[in-house]
Amino acid sequence: MASMHSSPDPIHAQAHAEAPAAAIALRGSALARFRRGVGLGFPIFLGYMPVGMAFGILARGLGFTVFEACVCSATALAGAGQFIALSFLAAGAGATGVLIATTVVNLRYVLFASTLSTYVRDASTPVHAALAFSLTDETFAINVADHRQGLATPASMAGVGGVAWVGWVLGTLIGAVGAGWIGDPSRFGVGFAMPAMFTALFLALAEDWRHVVIGAVSGAILLALPLLGAVGVRLESSWYLVIASMAAATVGAVVWRED
Amino acid sequence: MRTEIAHSTIWIVILGMALLNYAVRFPPLAIVSRIDLPKPIARWLSFVPIAVMGALVASEVLRPGGSWGNPLTGPSLYAAIVTALVFRYTKSFLGATVAGMASFVVLQHALPLVVR
Repeated sequence: MASMHSSPDPIHAQAHAEAPAAAIALRGSALARFRRGVGLGFPIFLGYMPVGMAFGILARGLGFTVFEACVCSATALAGAGQFIALSFLAAGAGATGVLIATTVVNLRYVLFASTLSTYVRDASTPVHAALAFSLTDETFAINVADHRQGLATPASMAGVGGVAWVGWVLGTLIGAVGAGWIGDPSRFGVGFAMPAMFTALFLALAEDWRHVVIGAVSGAILLALPLLGAVGVRLESSWYLVIASMAAATVGAVVWRED
Repeated sequence: MRTEIAHSTIWIVILGMALLNYAVRFPPLAIVSRIDLPKPIARWLSFVPIAVMGALVASEVLRPGGSWGNPLTGPSLYAAIVTALVFRYTKSFLGATVAGMASFVVLQHALPLVVR
């Protein structure tokens, strides 16, 4: 498997490459690098399990079979998108409405995939295909943080994505099978699993104060967008995330033209 | 009493989501990796991850469930602060996530006793 370190990204390559963990990351076999990725992704596994369970329970409540719930998680691997699909279905929306809403929410992955692609230039199309499949907010953030240390490789990213996928599907299976006796998943704090992950990932991604400012601007724009309703601009809430992120990144790119 | 959805609808949603999700992830990865991005666009892309996380944290922590409320009376903001502190000092995603969930559960029960 091609190592991306033959052409380090000049913007992000850092001098951490001598750190002890770097030995496996840079010189280990593909399997060793994959296993390192599995270790990196393990917190995602533990975070996805309870949220996947919640999805399984809710899906069963709406009439999904265990098989349908698991196929949905295994093929879509879209946390927020899947919950939005359930809430739209529960509200009586048709398939078209559900698909439009989930796709809009998932538009941010166009940006994520474009960013990720700059890390894996040398990789083959099958590797791109696998990385695209396992691309989520959490795997993306872990891989970006790892890349900034100069350690991420396609094999390690596959490990991160693989263990995340297993956690999501296994959680869905357990939730769907045990829907009857697990009961309300919220009493285990499941509702805060994703917010907690996002909070930690935000800190992991914040390299310097510019990043903190851009993140804060993005959050402020997102919270302000519903106010447009007061001046007659009606916007579906599923667009908020995409608009806020693109606007804040633009502010950053305009303010900090030079490195 | 609960709404049962037709299995034909469920399968259209499952297949459609699988296809559309892949359609927003794969083409950019495969295509953008083959071209040299102009520097301003590359820099813009480098700011996207932190911007998305900022927006996600803001919506999940300050507007949980998509509805406005006083963030000082709900558990989310305090649990996020616990999460951030644990991550700041341990650098552990796992520890921070578990600490966040645990403090969320505790606060869910304790806050109503304190804040009215």
